[in-house]
Amino acid sequence: MEQQQWALESPTLGIIFVGASFIIFYLIGWYSQKMAKSSTDYWTAGRSIGAVTNGLGMASSYMSLATFMGVTALILKLKVPFVYMWIQFSLSIPLITLWYGTPLRRMGAFTPAHFVRERYGLKTSYITVVFMILIMVMYALGQMIGVAKVFEMLFGINYTIALICGGALIVGYVTIGGMYGTSYNAAFQMVLMGVAFVIPLGAIMKAMGGTGWYFPPLFYSDMVPAMLEAVPDFFDMKYGLKWYAALIPCFTLGAMGLPHLGMRVYTASNLKSARGAMVWFTFFCGIVFCSTYTMGFSGVFFQATSSTGIAPTDYDKITLILNSVYNPAWVLAFVIAGAIAAGLSTISANLMAIGAMIAQDIIATIKPDLSDRTMKIIGYLAISGGGLASILIALNPPTFLVVSILWAFGLAGVTVAPLVILGVWWKPANRYGATVAILGAGLTYIAISPYIFPNFVISSGLPSSVGMSGSLFCVPLCFFLHTTVSMITDSMPSLMAKIPHQKDKELVDSIHGWSDYSEERYNSKSAGIIIAAVSLCICIWAALPGGW
Amino acid sequence: MNSAYKKEIRYTLIFSVLLLMSGHLGLVFVAFPGLQGHMIFGFPSQYIIPVVMGWLGLMVIVAVQAKLTNDLDDEIEELAASDENV
Repeated sequence: MEQQQWALESPTLGIIFVGASFIIFYLIGWYSQKMAKSSTDYWTAGRSIGAVTNGLGMASSYMSLATFMGVTALILKLKVPFVYMWIQFSLSIPLITLWYGTPLRRMGAFTPAHFVRERYGLKTSYITVVFMILIMVMYALGQMIGVAKVFEMLFGINYTIALICGGALIVGYVTIGGMYGTSYNAAFQMVLMGVAFVIPLGAIMKAMGGTGWYFPPLFYSDMVPAMLEAVPDFFDMKYGLKWYAALIPCFTLGAMGLPHLGMRVYTASNLKSARGAMVWFTFFCGIVFCSTYTMGFSGVFFQATSSTGIAPTDYDKITLILNSVYNPAWVLAFVIAGAIAAGLSTISANLMAIGAMIAQDIIATIKPDLSDRTMKIIGYLAISGGGLASILIALNPPTFLVVSILWAFGLAGVTVAPLVILGVWWKPANRYGATVAILGAGLTYIAISPYIFPNFVISSGLPSSVGMSGSLFCVPLCFFLHTTVSMITDSMPSLMAKIPHQKDKELVDSIHGWSDYSEERYNSKSAGIIIAAVSLCICIWAALPGGW
Repeated sequence: MNSAYKKEIRYTLIFSVLLLMSGHLGLVFVAFPGLQGHMIFGFPSQYIIPVVMGWLGLMVIVAVQAKLTNDLDDEIEELAASDENV
């Protein structure tokens, strides 16, 4: 089969669409920032965002450039197993809301690290912030590089200029708008990317002969027989039980630890609105995610049946290629604007999280008496500084930072999620347990990744490179260390006298909405023993060879 | 311990299991390979069931979760208010 390198034929329309969308982003950012009366408003949008807007914003922050580029490329490479990997990402916001979002919203937290500071003390929160900033930088970096590559393709300029110009434009509108601007822009970006993805996909399906083109997310079963004939292994599950089990600690719990998702819950006007937003999130997320699988399906079908195959270097451009083949030029331009909106919405949320952690979780704790005006200026500087750092790193990124955004999910699952979940739901969790767990499990996860000691890994290939095998071992390790160290130190009065454990326990009751304190609530020792035992068993299972 | 607390723990455990199941049905199909290969709505079962449950199934679970946990919040608030009055 002849393979052709794909290139954008006529970028003018793309430039017009992208330029127009940036003007709208700036206008929304500019008008939104007028609503922020204080630094708290700047970081939480005055805790006033309604359910539908917040649901759109949640979905938008989660849908990165990968929705348009990376996912379809990986479906082309891995076929259906990658669909299973993606399906579970829809659980993020519902689980965050259920496990810790609403208690932290009740507490008035800015970021999950804010909760860690109140619950486990300053030292543990600094360690958490370092891990979170590393995770956010890895995440933002991938998006920044992706957006720069789209700019490079669109404007025909070199990568460095594309990165600096594109990066400056993004950092500008995020800094101006704060969380108000980011929230309203994210809602607009979600609508833009949803329309730009789903409707052109319907036209592609129709052109390919699909009869269910009017509902692309689910109606393509008539293409299945032809697919099975062309690619008989498309629906094969391929991998073993450990591979599918590892999706839970790596990506489901990993998403729990991503601060920019949790922060969306804190912008809600009240808890009921946050839960309403969660329902809207699953609706919007589902439409686009299911359409992504259809696009991947169509890409594999196109690759298998067309006379001109897609070059492996172009796998990530399958959405653009299908649109250029089956749709008019202006539709392709609209899709490019949608892809950039997807990248931008994620970078915006990442930069807000980095800024909030620097301003609220580091500077505000070191200098708690700063005026609100100074804190607002620090906010602007923290976001623009975080953005500038991302651009500078993206100019010549260290290999370990761009290996895989998915690996960063695992790091979040290992370091942040267990601390927050146990901190919210289990009073005996104490500061000693938290510190030992985050350091022990976090450093082990980094050490057993293939990027540090290539021969010191739990498995090889994809499970190792995206952090699945590391997470299957280290997430339960973190739960095991946290529960056992907490239970052991709890029986040492000399150690417990050094920390305000009673105050920490009272915090647990208050964030669940109880006005009185009861020693019995969230205080089961049996629960701790069960969690420790189950975690240890999973650790041992993960370390045993085979099963992937 | 009051019933609202027990309800909070029960809801959290039940919805955790339901949410995890709806997003990880691939695990069930790989654990029980006999479930694979049946055609449902024109798609292989191991594909369409996880896709539909990961979207529409999840939406139903989340809607019920929102309703019940909102009601529970009201119950806890009422309890807290009555405690303050006492």
